[in-house]
Amino acid sequence: MSSQANSLKKGLTVKDLVTTGIFSAIFFVFTLIGGLPFAPNPVLTFYMPMGAALLCGPIYLLMVAKVQKRWSVTILGIIMGIIWFATGMHWAFSLGYIGMGIIADLVAGAGHYRNKAINLLSYMLISLGGIYTYVVFFIDPEGWASTMLDNGTEQSYIDTMSASAPSWLLAVIVVGTLVIAAFSGWIGGKMLKKQFEKAGITA
Amino acid sequence: MNGGTSPRQRLWLDPRTKILLLLLCILSAMMALSLYYELGLVVLIGLFGACCGKWKYAWKGAAFYGLIVLLTFWIMDTMTGTWRTMFITFLGLFHKVYPCGMLSGIVISTTKVSEFLSAMNRVHAPKNLVIPLAVMLRYIPTIQEDWRFIKDAMRLRDVSPSLKGLLTHPGMTVECIYVPLMMAASKAADELSIASITRGIENPKPRTCLVQIRMGPADAAAILCFGAFFAAGLYGKGVFG
Repeated sequence: MSSQANSLKKGLTVKDLVTTGIFSAIFFVFTLIGGLPFAPNPVLTFYMPMGAALLCGPIYLLMVAKVQKRWSVTILGIIMGIIWFATGMHWAFSLGYIGMGIIADLVAGAGHYRNKAINLLSYMLISLGGIYTYVVFFIDPEGWASTMLDNGTEQSYIDTMSASAPSWLLAVIVVGTLVIAAFSGWIGGKMLKKQFEKAGITA
Repeated sequence: MNGGTSPRQRLWLDPRTKILLLLLCILSAMMALSLYYELGLVVLIGLFGACCGKWKYAWKGAAFYGLIVLLTFWIMDTMTGTWRTMFITFLGLFHKVYPCGMLSGIVISTTKVSEFLSAMNRVHAPKNLVIPLAVMLRYIPTIQEDWRFIKDAMRLRDVSPSLKGLLTHPGMTVECIYVPLMMAASKAADELSIASITRGIENPKPRTCLVQIRMGPADAAAILCFGAFFAAGLYGKGVFG
């Protein structure tokens, strides 16, 4: 009832902005916790987006349920982009988060931020923000490691690279991230129903 | 003119300068030519951190990076085959990320929220973006604190907050971590928004700040240092490459 009046009001209030900020902080920390075990391991570094997607589902869904307005998800994406850029992540990573944030916002908006299935889908989309570093990597593996190799690239390096990172790995990353994000969102949806709706936390 | 807030005479920089430095650092790291250049960048950042009064952080950061550089040389020399490729891929990422991560650590820990908001107001950044960003930077240490309390509470109730607990009772453990954290977060969101409305965040008049936000000679010197370093990387390929 009160939420009806809420969503009719135009624009984001200060409360919405603060809520977005706080949930972005948790989103960032949980992405870090999920991603860090993968990142320092050379073999697992490709699976980092999956680890990042695993933990954030409940947080994203609660944020959407609490704000229920356009731009909130976009702001989340942009903040993620800025923070990752400031920590020196690859530029594709940041742009990916900003782009996927906008797309996820549009998708969630199509269900007026109420439809649980559509919210879940938008979470899966924003989780894809992390994969663009690897997309760039697969397009141009030589440029990626040029810092490490002084004189161009050795032939043996190219060979081992294409052997250890075959092209299907990209598909595995995309599909795996989507599946794990769906799982995380599913858990999040259940948790929302069991705990937060009863407590009246969702708007 | 040192802002006048710090008791000891530390280097005080305009938040806008810090953002510019961060950008220069990202650019330098992006087009870095060799490991020596990156090492130079990290040392420069360390000096900057020391000037800002973060001695320990700067010293540790630079020393750790030195170790990683040694490790990289060792790997480049001895390893072959798949392992070498794996490590090179990973270290390539690491070397790009490390300097910027170190600098943003210094920047975030030396900038106050009110200074940041005033500076952003000065450059007319959109409020819808600046407020969440400021709240977020302020809230991250709170999460750390909350996490400690949650761990204590879990132990009291015989739920193990360790990896073992997560594996044996996944549902219970996950719920016990997420629910209090998110409850606390949404309560904090309500309280913080009330507090900031009371302090007049919705006031349409331009914001004022006790600390004078202005660019001084120190800012110019810092920008010059990082700018020169970036230019040296851009044009001095023969020297570093």
